[in-house]
Amino acid sequence: MNAASLPLLQNALTVGAILFSLGLVGILTRRNLIVMFLAAEMMLQGISVSLVAWSRYHGDFGGHVLVIFVLTVAACEAAVALVFVLQAFSRTGRLDAAAWQSLREATVGRTIDRELPAIDTVPPRFPTLTPAGVQPATDADDSLEREHV
Amino acid sequence: MNNQSLSSLLALVPLLPLVGAVATVLLGRRLGRAAHIPAVAGIAAAAVVAVVLLGVTARDVGGTHGPVETISTLWQWATVEGAAADAPGADAAATRGLSIPVAVRLDPLTATLLTIITCVGLLVAIYSTGYMHGDPGYPRFFALVAMFVFSMSMLVMASNFLLVYVFWEAVGACSYLLIGFWFTKPEAAKAAKKAFLVNRVGDFGLAVATFLIWMSFGTLDFHDTLSAQGVIVPGVLGQTRLADPGGYVLPDAAGFSGAAVGTAICLLLLLAACGKSAQLPLHVWLPDAMEGPTPASALIHAATMVTAGIYLVARTAPLFVAHPGALTLVSIVGATTALVAALIGTVQNDLKRVLAYSTISQLGYMFASLGTGTLLGFTAAIFHLLTHACFKALLFLGAGSVMHSMGGVIDMRRFGGLRRVMPITAATFLVGAAALAGVAPFAGFFSKDEILAALHAKGWPDAHGTHADHDDATPTDGRAAAGRPLRFAALREPADDALALVTPRADGRERGVPLDAIDTPATWRLLFWMSLVTAGLTAFYTFRAVFMTFTGPTRLPEGAGHGHGHDDDAHADAHAHSDHGGGHGQHHGHGDHGHGSLESPPAMTLPLVVLAVASAGIGWLLFATNWLGHFLAATPSLTAAAVARTAVPHVFHWDLAIQGTLAAVVGIVVAAIGHLGRRSDGPQMERFLGPLGTLFAEKFYVDQLYAWCVVRPLELLAAVAAIFDRTVIDGTVDAVGGIPGAIGEVLRRSQSGLLQRYALAGVLGVLSIVVLLAWQLRG
Repeated sequence: MNAASLPLLQNALTVGAILFSLGLVGILTRRNLIVMFLAAEMMLQGISVSLVAWSRYHGDFGGHVLVIFVLTVAACEAAVALVFVLQAFSRTGRLDAAAWQSLREATVGRTIDRELPAIDTVPPRFPTLTPAGVQPATDADDSLEREHV
Repeated sequence: MNNQSLSSLLALVPLLPLVGAVATVLLGRRLGRAAHIPAVAGIAAAAVVAVVLLGVTARDVGGTHGPVETISTLWQWATVEGAAADAPGADAAATRGLSIPVAVRLDPLTATLLTIITCVGLLVAIYSTGYMHGDPGYPRFFALVAMFVFSMSMLVMASNFLLVYVFWEAVGACSYLLIGFWFTKPEAAKAAKKAFLVNRVGDFGLAVATFLIWMSFGTLDFHDTLSAQGVIVPGVLGQTRLADPGGYVLPDAAGFSGAAVGTAICLLLLLAACGKSAQLPLHVWLPDAMEGPTPASALIHAATMVTAGIYLVARTAPLFVAHPGALTLVSIVGATTALVAALIGTVQNDLKRVLAYSTISQLGYMFASLGTGTLLGFTAAIFHLLTHACFKALLFLGAGSVMHSMGGVIDMRRFGGLRRVMPITAATFLVGAAALAGVAPFAGFFSKDEILAALHAKGWPDAHGTHADHDDATPTDGRAAAGRPLRFAALREPADDALALVTPRADGRERGVPLDAIDTPATWRLLFWMSLVTAGLTAFYTFRAVFMTFTGPTRLPEGAGHGHGHDDDAHADAHAHSDHGGGHGQHHGHGDHGHGSLESPPAMTLPLVVLAVASAGIGWLLFATNWLGHFLAATPSLTAAAVARTAVPHVFHWDLAIQGTLAAVVGIVVAAIGHLGRRSDGPQMERFLGPLGTLFAEKFYVDQLYAWCVVRPLELLAAVAAIFDRTVIDGTVDAVGGIPGAIGEVLRRSQSGLLQRYALAGVLGVLSIVVLLAWQLRG
């Protein structure tokens, strides 16, 4: 692989830095768990871009290999993290990060910037398959059991 | 007997009681009432071995001319390599290696003491099976007695100052544990503590003396040893040094003259001896030690442990003889103690306390005798030690027998006329008292006579110098010629040159310390008269105790014959005792005890009879044959030229015997006038003597003096220290402990539980690291 020029590196690093900073700002300012998670992913990608750029600049594969790893790990992490988010939501019905403050010291009061509206306790909703095509003929007894997949 | 088996036998003497003690500790609970078996068997076996060793030593003494000693090194305890001689800053002391062998020795002095310790120990152990019967601490008592016999045997066998120190402490520990045997009784616990603390002062002296000996002599061994380089290292009391006329002339060191250092060593050893042997001014612990079980008092606080001081001074005799000032002080301390303790003894009403003061007094006698520095003085002290062990153990055991039958009451005013109800105890006690009072022909008479003779010889050297003219033998061949009536001869020394006799002027310079000036005939004359007065007082208080306890109308305290409760105070309500008018064969009001039925069981009376026979016969036996004097003269320490040359022919001093007997008779007569046949709670000595009696009863206010000079200031210091501890030290610790809490209190506020705050903290942390790195990499 040929070594790339300095301007390419600079451009790529700038993009990486912008991505990272956007992610950082997103994490620090947004309270929606999914958005925060997306912001974290964005930081990760900013780093990945920088790694690839350095790798390209030096003309070796180290950075590329690292980025492949990062992508793999990020995929796994996304799977795990989304499960947590999902569970958290199904427990309280909220995606607000500020809803979970129980790690604080007992003597420190709850931080409330705005009173959140009360949420009626909703029965747990389980995902169902989206109707697509012709509804298959099902056994009446069997369908009772298979209503919630 | 070859050397190997002799060494094995030697090791057996302490080993057997030790095994007995350990077995009692391990099996005591399981054995229950038979818990005394291991201890008694161990001590009995040790006594047999000790007697065999005495015989072996006696045979050796008869077969050789010089000193007799057998050294057996069991193992090497500690070895410290000496620094290289060329090491920087190394002086003579630093380059010397230290090696402590566990070496035991056998010589006439050791053999004599071993026999006393094990035999008296055995009798006391047998007696205790009766006396301690039914006590919840029965196994513990026997374990301690066996442990004591082990420690005491090792003390007199040890051939090394450090070992002596170790077992000096060990017997002290046994004594502490036995005084405090009934530790739930506050007086016993207090007495044990007092004994321990007062002894500590003496132990300090022994420790410092050991250091000084190490610095001055370069070794701690008594015997000569062979260094790794094959050079003979002369031991402190080894034959090389003993044969060397200047062996105890110490070199000047660190700006101190050798004589000063030597005197300091002797004075420190004397301090140690005063602590252990209860001499002035450290005598205060012994009377209180009577809170312990009576058999323990008999064994430890009368017959054996308290004589450790006598042993120490006798063992280091050449050292003392080379320093006449310290030596004279030994006598002064001894004679003063003897007199003071005897005076206090005259007004005591507690039978055991009378005996305790008598023990202090008799130990003072032995010290007075040791201080003469003559061969006669040393052998007389050991002779008196031997006879005293017999008759004082007898008296204590007799007192224990009385206490046992009187339900734990020992105050002489609360009983009387016991000869009718306890005939064996009364008869044996009378024998012991006669021996203590110095009535011919009982044991004490002969040993006391020898001590008076030794003191008299120092006070009137001219009168005794004439003895030398009758004998033309030299010391060595005099000893060798067995069977001759006169075994020791004095070298003809000019009488006025006493200092030259004991302090060789090897370098021609005048050696000595100012203290040596007290060694004058006038001093010795005073000491002699003090001892003679003490003899009279001894007879008085002894027979006062006999008359108060065994004569007069028979009176018994409540609870007599119901075993001993050991709590005087429970019966302190009074003197309301039945008085039966002294009639024979009357039936007593309480219980169904007839006359004679209060006698103690055979396990207790048998040792009394054995000791009574010994007290009656041993003095005459040993004096007439001069066996002991001849035997002890072969002890290496006493073969030092300065000691051996003071040998005098063995004669019976009629003039001194008459004086001593007169003193005793006067004492007994005065006691008889005051107490014979009277109620023991009648008019007391104390009131008769007026203010003087109060002085004696208050023990010369020594306890009060210590309370004001030592105990109170220390208690005050302790109180101040307690306040300091609670405020300053505890405060500092608490403050230090509070710091993490305070920091945590501040940092706690940052723990909001908000996700974004934590993320921000992380970002700031990373940023600060980046800034720091950039700052570092800037240049």
